Amino acid sequence: MLEYGFMQNALIAGVLISILCPCVGVFLVLKRYSMMGDALSHASFAGVAIGILLGFNPIISAFIFTSICGLLIEKLRSYYKKYAELILVIVMTLSVGIAITLISSGRASASVNSYLFGSILTVTREDLLTVLILSVISVFTITILYNQLIYITLDEDGAKIAGVKVKLINYLFALLVAATISVSLRIMGILVISSMIAMPVAAAMQLNQGFKRTLIFSIIFGFIDIMTGLILSYYIDTAPGGTIALTSVAVLLVIILWKKLLVCRN
Amino acid sequence: MIQIDNLNYTYSTDTEYILNNINLNIEKNSYVSILGDNGSAKTTLIKLILKLLTPSTGTILINTDKIGYVPQHVGEVNSQFPITVYELLRCHYKVLNLKNSKLLNEVLKNFGIFEFRNSLISNLSGGQMQKVFIARALLGSPDLLILDEPSTGLDAQNKQEIYCILKNLNLNSKVTILSVEHNIEAALENSTHICILKEGTAKINSISNYLGGVSC
Repeated sequence: MLEYGFMQNALIAGVLISILCPCVGVFLVLKRYSMMGDALSHASFAGVAIGILLGFNPIISAFIFTSICGLLIEKLRSYYKKYAELILVIVMTLSVGIAITLISSGRASASVNSYLFGSILTVTREDLLTVLILSVISVFTITILYNQLIYITLDEDGAKIAGVKVKLINYLFALLVAATISVSLRIMGILVISSMIAMPVAAAMQLNQGFKRTLIFSIIFGFIDIMTGLILSYYIDTAPGGTIALTSVAVLLVIILWKKLLVCRN
Repeated sequence: MIQIDNLNYTYSTDTEYILNNINLNIEKNSYVSILGDNGSAKTTLIKLILKLLTPSTGTILINTDKIGYVPQHVGEVNSQFPITVYELLRCHYKVLNLKNSKLLNEVLKNFGIFEFRNSLISNLSGGQMQKVFIARALLGSPDLLILDEPSTGLDAQNKQEIYCILKNLNLNSKVTILSVEHNIEAALENSTHICILKEGTAKINSISNYLGGVSC
């Protein structure tokens, strides 16, 4: 399996994504904003369609369009303070509208399935470089903003009073989510990205640990989900999005059962 | 410490002011309890002072940047958040860019929560949680400490401990305290001044004016 260049590219990209997705996901889930991942993955669909139409690298066009939508979500948050999910519906409607219109027009229909369901065959060296650059910038930014992000996620008012530039960091975070989705869409597919942002965190939260350990366990579970899913998809010859999603559910179930067993034994 | 002049506030431009022409002077080293019925805009007033809300008209001047805030631990903060006591305090310490590495353990010991430093905040009792949030607020050695209902949901012993901490801070560390209170008894016992909010207006008086009791 490892002798194939495409599989090497897919596995390297998988490692990067397995670090990045939970790093962003832990803050999204704890902000109770995990559906933002879903809204922005739909936005990336429109970005991919625009990229194909204009002859751009679809990962870059997805990053640009998803970033614009991420910033739009942050901007609209002040208009719909009590109805955050409504903002996500607005952005999803806009994105799906653009994507379907472009794809059904026949001008941007090439290989849409591989973007929807993920593919291990389509990760080129150029894609890998884009994924590497975006991942390094994103993980570096999260490391720098780590304490501010925790503060905002736990207690946004307290963060403002402590002098954290909450608005600026929320905008930066929206860009981080956009970057995460853009780097993940080749491997996992648009339909599965939001699950991979939330599922490893959901599994890690079952372990009732502090923040740092929850983050570390999320990365471990993300790594298991993506690597197992990729290898399975190679052997059973299916799109990796499906096997990654199923693995993440299996990991969550194993942890819930393990916890139950521990409780029963005690 | 805090000078409020002609403050008016409404959440929506097409409704009446919920705070109407408020003028208050909160002196340095005082301990002011804000009392009022539910819905009398007590929390709104402290959010205006904390600059979390912008006044419709009027001014609020505070002559310190070192402000500590203790939120209502029930409701305002996600108590199920997976974070340990130590991580919570360390996060505040890092955000304030403090340099004294012994400070965290000192604060934990001073508040009697050192043994819980590795516990999740979700596993703490109401009293322990309140101590953690007061400890967090005090990390930056604030001149002004603002609290929102510090004793809500606590049992009698924890209430007593919390008010003892606050009174000590006021008397010995000269921290000015502004506290939204439901607990009239504690307000009378500990405060130097009482501020009563009623129908959008505020009146502040020295505690000696209320020795016969408070009527909100």
